Parts: sequence; structure tokens; C-alpha cells
Amino acid sequence: MARKKGVKALILNWRVLLLILFLIGSIASISIRGLTYGIDIGGGVALVAEPEKSVSKDTLNGIITSLQNRLNTFGIKDIKIEAQHDPETGRSLIVVKVANVTLDEANQIKDLIESQGVLYMEFNGVVFATGTDVTVHSSNYGLNLQECPTCWYVGFELSEKAQERFKEIAAGKIGWPVDIYLDPPVNSLLVVSPRVYNEMQDFLGEPEPGTGTPKPLVQRISEAFNITVVEYSNQTAEDIVENATALGKDKIILADVPKELYSEVKNLIVSKNLDLRVSYYTPQQGEDLKDFVERVLNLYGPYILRFDPAKGGNTGLQLSGSAPTKEDALQEAKKIYSVLRSGSLTVKLHVVNEEYISPTLGASFKKQAVIAGIGALIAVLLIVYLHYRRWKIAIPVASTSLFEVIIILGIAALIRWNLDLPSIAGIIAAIGTGVDQQIVITDELLGGTSGGVTRRMSTLRRMARAFFVIFASAATTVVAMSFLLVYFVGTLKGFAVTTILGVLIGVLITRPAYAEIAKYLLSLE
Amino acid sequence: MGTKKQKINKGSPDRVLETKRKRLLFLARTEPRKMVLYPLVVFLLALLILAFHPPEKGIDLKGGVVITVYHVSASPDELESYVKEKTGINVRAEEFKDPVTGLSGIRLYAPAGSDYGKISDAIQSKYKGADIIPRVVDPTFGKIAQRQGIKAIIYAFLGMAVVVFLFFRDPVPSATIIFSAFSDMVIALAMMSVLGIELTTATIAALLMLIGYTVDSNILLTTRLLRRKEDTVEDAYLSAVSTGFTMSTTTLGALVILWLVSTSEVIDNIAIVLIFGLLADFMNTWIFNAGVLRWYIASPYKFSIKLRRGK
Repeated sequence: MARKKGVKALILNWRVLLLILFLIGSIASISIRGLTYGIDIGGGVALVAEPEKSVSKDTLNGIITSLQNRLNTFGIKDIKIEAQHDPETGRSLIVVKVANVTLDEANQIKDLIESQGVLYMEFNGVVFATGTDVTVHSSNYGLNLQECPTCWYVGFELSEKAQERFKEIAAGKIGWPVDIYLDPPVNSLLVVSPRVYNEMQDFLGEPEPGTGTPKPLVQRISEAFNITVVEYSNQTAEDIVENATALGKDKIILADVPKELYSEVKNLIVSKNLDLRVSYYTPQQGEDLKDFVERVLNLYGPYILRFDPAKGGNTGLQLSGSAPTKEDALQEAKKIYSVLRSGSLTVKLHVVNEEYISPTLGASFKKQAVIAGIGALIAVLLIVYLHYRRWKIAIPVASTSLFEVIIILGIAALIRWNLDLPSIAGIIAAIGTGVDQQIVITDELLGGTSGGVTRRMSTLRRMARAFFVIFASAATTVVAMSFLLVYFVGTLKGFAVTTILGVLIGVLITRPAYAEIAKYLLSLE
Repeated sequence: MGTKKQKINKGSPDRVLETKRKRLLFLARTEPRKMVLYPLVVFLLALLILAFHPPEKGIDLKGGVVITVYHVSASPDELESYVKEKTGINVRAEEFKDPVTGLSGIRLYAPAGSDYGKISDAIQSKYKGADIIPRVVDPTFGKIAQRQGIKAIIYAFLGMAVVVFLFFRDPVPSATIIFSAFSDMVIALAMMSVLGIELTTATIAALLMLIGYTVDSNILLTTRLLRRKEDTVEDAYLSAVSTGFTMSTTTLGALVILWLVSTSEVIDNIAIVLIFGLLADFMNTWIFNAGVLRWYIASPYKFSIKLRRGK
């Protein structure tokens, strides 16, 4: 009976209770929020790009939003772009991480980052303005509440030359479509399925009666960008490649056609050693065909011409539209704003570091990390048993380490920390020192109860000494790692975060609880 | 390192502890002068190795293009000549194999600035199921990473030194701990260069981890000897070294398992660097640092020991 009471007292001890609470919280956090992984484990591509010349913070943010827009052409994928600053040299680096992409997509992403975003404004098959003609004043966008509650606008100005051309070609054409492109696939052969081909005959705007008929999109992009659109009717890869070379194209785009065709075309190009690029697009779930076409072409709009350019003065122009909600409207305005602005970002980016991990290999890394972790834990259990010959010590030591891992992961899930390989190394480091410190506690406890050493110290004193050692080494590790966290741009940040997390959890939660449990178990002897 | 694996010993648990202490008694009986001398010789040897043959820098610090190819049915030479012929890029192929899991692959090294897309396209067109993992680092970025790595180690080291000094407020023991940590790192680096392990961000992380472990064992020893409650220094040392022996063998065991099980090069390298670092740490803590402390406590200067909380 007395023993049972002891167990109850142990569980109600606040240190043990704290451990239990944290454990429950962590398991909940992991199961609800889930763990997120870095590129080197989850699979994907991580690129670090450096601007050609040093840029202001504002320009850097501009580059990042523009990149985000341009990368969206790959569909809704997990794209993260962040700026990092090297405090020493003052250099800025842009880190782009895209999860779960194929090697081909990774290549395309790299090309996109390194190519400058080129903005085109096109009307009825004629490009009347490019990025350098467009000036967007800072923050000149927002909601147009006079029009409707969810209407948005973006204001911009055109250079005089561009305005003249626009007047010439668009005079009187009210209701006609105006297309804006960022990085259209210039000089390419576009092979599309019949339904996409049909869709591309449209995009006609809302021409007012008596102003004539605008050219269909297929014809507009052919005249403006030399993009030849071909309807897919079971052509072979040879036909397509021959066609592209005959027309002198640099790129073949396959959209909404069988995927095998893509690999066939690609292999053919490699085996013939041709200087042609290929890319492949397929509509995503729930994406309507119009959106799909816009994504393939990097087309924004088309916008409808609401005034007669021949009659207007030299005032600024405005793009406007509406969205289902206010938030959407503002988002749309912001997007168009950054697209218009990106045309004038003349800084070239250079990719300086690239790491790609295929999703399958990433998954096998993950599995291995789990197996290695369990193996290491079993090793700890067995070796501690060999040293002390008591399961009463070995099991609590090993399980406390396991709890520690669970709590670190729980907090990582809570703060949405991406677990990458350095983070896992950090967890290993924290667990390793954790086991060491549990051994220190155990030996102090045993030293007090067994012979061999005089019993001049009470258990309390011995615990105090053990915790002095533990606090001293924890403080040292935390201080050393904090430097890493503050002064570091690179990949070791994850290492610092998980080590500090692990050490703090150890000192504040698991170590005190372990001391109580061990004290109780050893007092039973 | 003078440690013997414990033999299976039947009897009461406390006797197990005692036998362990007896086995470690020879350390306690060694002259302090010798205890200081031998680790110093090892440290100097390691320095010599590093001076003549520092560890190679890995791609993430040096820059370049490495393409790792899994699941190809070709020998490295075949692949090398095929890629050379197809792309005109001068690559060098090397095979690697994990002894435990049997996972194997080929690494292709290409000069910095090569177009890896061309290489991977060429490989994919001939070997359909190939899993290709490119790693591209610009030499300028390698320099940034290198500088940051060095900075990280220096800062972490300085931070550690300051905290250790604040905890003990006594120059001799603090300096000894700091030197032990430094020597651990030098020996681990020397072992890396002997075993051909490259210096990469991952191995830098391992060296940083080493600081944590070193400090752990050294603080334990210093505390036990300076805040001694046992009757003699020998007793205090014995109880500390037996704890330290348990600590090191446990961590080493876990690391060996980690090394055996993992096929990830990164985790493998971290494990190996730590294994050698911890072996060095056992020597530097329990022999070198203990020797210095025993001399220090026996010397007339011992009265200058100021304890932070001198209960």
C-alpha cells in the first residue's frame, strides 16, 4: 500500500507533472499541426541567389514579390522565398525553397530566377510597351470603393513613346482586350490539347458594337511573341521536334497532352543534341482552362479597354477589376502592382548555391533518421543497463531521452520549424548531452546510498552539485549556440535552434523530472 | 585511451560500481606530470598533421558541381566516358557504397560553372530509372559559407570560454577546460584529415557539438574536484571518472549505432567526427584536465581557489 501511495505522490510531484503535461501537449501538437521538413529531408529544391549589385531593402522586397509571381507559373506548390542579409559584407542573398518538385522543374526554376523578368503590354498582336516604359509609383494601388466595395485598381504611367503607339493602335477600340505578360515564352512552339486550343480562340474581351473584332489570343501571341500554337492530334515526338526546328524555335511547350509525349520529346532532343528546351504543363485540380492558359503564357488579364486612348490626355492610366471579397481584391491589386513594378527591376540574379533532393530519396532519409534514432536509443538503454545492472535506471534514462525528443519535435511542430538535417543533428546533440547529465544525476544519487564513498553529503546536497554541473554546461551550450543563431545566415541555424531547444527542455523539464523518478525508484531498494 | 570494456559481472549492483572504480584506479595512481604530458604530445601530433595535411574542403565550402546518381546499371568509367562524349563536360566519376544497407551510387564531379542540366538530361535519356541529385555551389558562395563556419566556431568557442570562466572564476581550471575543448577539436580535425573526411557544413556542426560534450565532462570533473565532499582527491577523482566513463561509453555506443544504421553521408560524417572527438575528450578530460587539477590542488596556490557558492 505504501508503495502505491509513493507512485501517486511521484506522479503528483510538480516536476513529474510538468513533464507529463509537456508530453501530452507535444503529442497533441505533432498530431494536430504535423511536422514540417526542410528540403534536404522532404525533397525539393533550395536555391540561393545573389543580386548582381547591392540593392536597397525596398528593391530587394520588390524582387522577392516579383519572383513569387513569376514562380507561381509552376502551379500551387509550396514556395518559400526569403531575404537574408550577411551583416559583415552587407551582401543580400535570396533563398528560394520549393518543396516536392521534379528535377526538370528545379531546372526551370533556376532558369527563371536567373532570367530577368520582362514585362510586355500587348494590344491586338502588337507590343506597345515593355517594362522600361512602365512607371509605377510606390503604393499606387488599392480598393476603388466608388466603383464597388470589392473593386481594386493599380495606377501606372506610360512613357510618351509607348503612349503614342497605344493611341495609334487602340484608338476607338473600346471594350477590346489589353494583355499584360511577365516572362512570356517568346519564340516557342506550343502544343496544346483540342480543348485548350478552343479556349485560346477566345480571350476576346467585350468589344463594343461597331468597333470590329479583335484577333483571337492564338493570333495575338503569334504576332507579338512568335509563339506558334499547334493543336495536338496524335503527332509523334519526331513531328513536333521537326516542326520546332523548321520554325527556328528555342522552346517547345506541351500543355494538357499525354505525359509520355514529354519524355519522348525530351529524349529525342538529347539524343539529337539539339539546342531546344522543353517544358510540360498540366491543369491542376479545380483549375479552369482559362486560368490554365494564363498560367502557361504568364498572362495577366486580359484587361478591358474602358476609354478611348485617342481622346485621353497625358494622365496616368489605371488597371482595375473586381474580386469576390475585399481581401481578394486587395490581394489581386497587390499582385498586379508587383507585376507591373517587376518590369522595372533591372537587377539580375545569379544562383550561387543549389541543392536538389528527389522526393523519394528524401522519404528514405526520413525513414533512416527514424531507424537510426530508435537504434541509438536502444543502444543507450543497453549500455546504461550494462553499467548499472538495473533496469530501474536504464529504462528511465532511455525513456526520458525519448520524451525529450518528443517534446523537441512537439515544439518544432508548434513553431512550424522546418526540420532539416542540421536540425536533426542538433536533436542528436541535445539528446547526447541529456543522457550524459542523467548519468551525472544517477551517480550522485547512487553515491549517496552506496558504500565506497563516505556519506558526508545528504542527497539534497548531492543533487545540488549535480544540478550545478548541469546548469553550467547548459548555460555554456546555450551561449555558444546563440552566437550561431544571431550571426548566421547559412544552414547551421537549424542546428542552433534544436540544440538550444533541447538543452532548455532538458534543464527545465526532463532533468528535474528524471531526478525525481530516479530518486523514487532507487529509494525502493 | 586506456579504457577497457567492462566484463559481465554477477553480483549486487553496487559491487558493479565498485569494480568499475577499481578498474579505473590505475588512472588515479598515475603521476600528474605524466597525465599532463601524454595528452599534450597527442595534441602536438595532431597539430603537426593539420599543418602538413589539413582536411579537404567539401563542395559546399569550396564550390563546384557534384551530381549523385542512384539506380544506374553502369560502372563509373562507363558513365564518365558516356557523359564526356555526350556533353563535352570533363567529369570525374566515383563509386560509393554503404557497407550496411548496400545502397550504392555514383558521384560525378564537374568543374564549377558546368551546366548540370545537360549532364542530368544526358544520363536520364540513357538510364531511365536513374535518380539524379545535383548539388551546385558557386565558389563565391562557398567562400561565404566557409567564413561563416569559421566565425561560428570562433564565436561558439569564445562564448563557451566566457561562461566557463564566469562559472568557476578561477583562471587555472577555466583555462584548462578551454584548452581541452580546443585540443578535442584539433584532434578531431586531424582525424578527419587522416580518414579523408571532408570539411563541410555538417562536419562543422559536428565540431560545434563537440564543444557541448567537452564542456559537459570537463565541468563535471572540475566541479567534483573543486567542490569536493569526498575524503580525498583520489576518491573524488575516482567517482567522477567512473561517471565520465559511463557517459562516454553510452554516447559512443549511440553514435556507433547511428553511424552503422544511417546511409546518409551527412549523418555518417557527423557521427565519425563525434566519435573521434569524444575519444579525444576522454583523454583530455580524465587524463589531461585531471592531471592539471590534481597538481593545482596539491600546489601551494590552491588557497586561491574561490568558489562561486562556497558552502
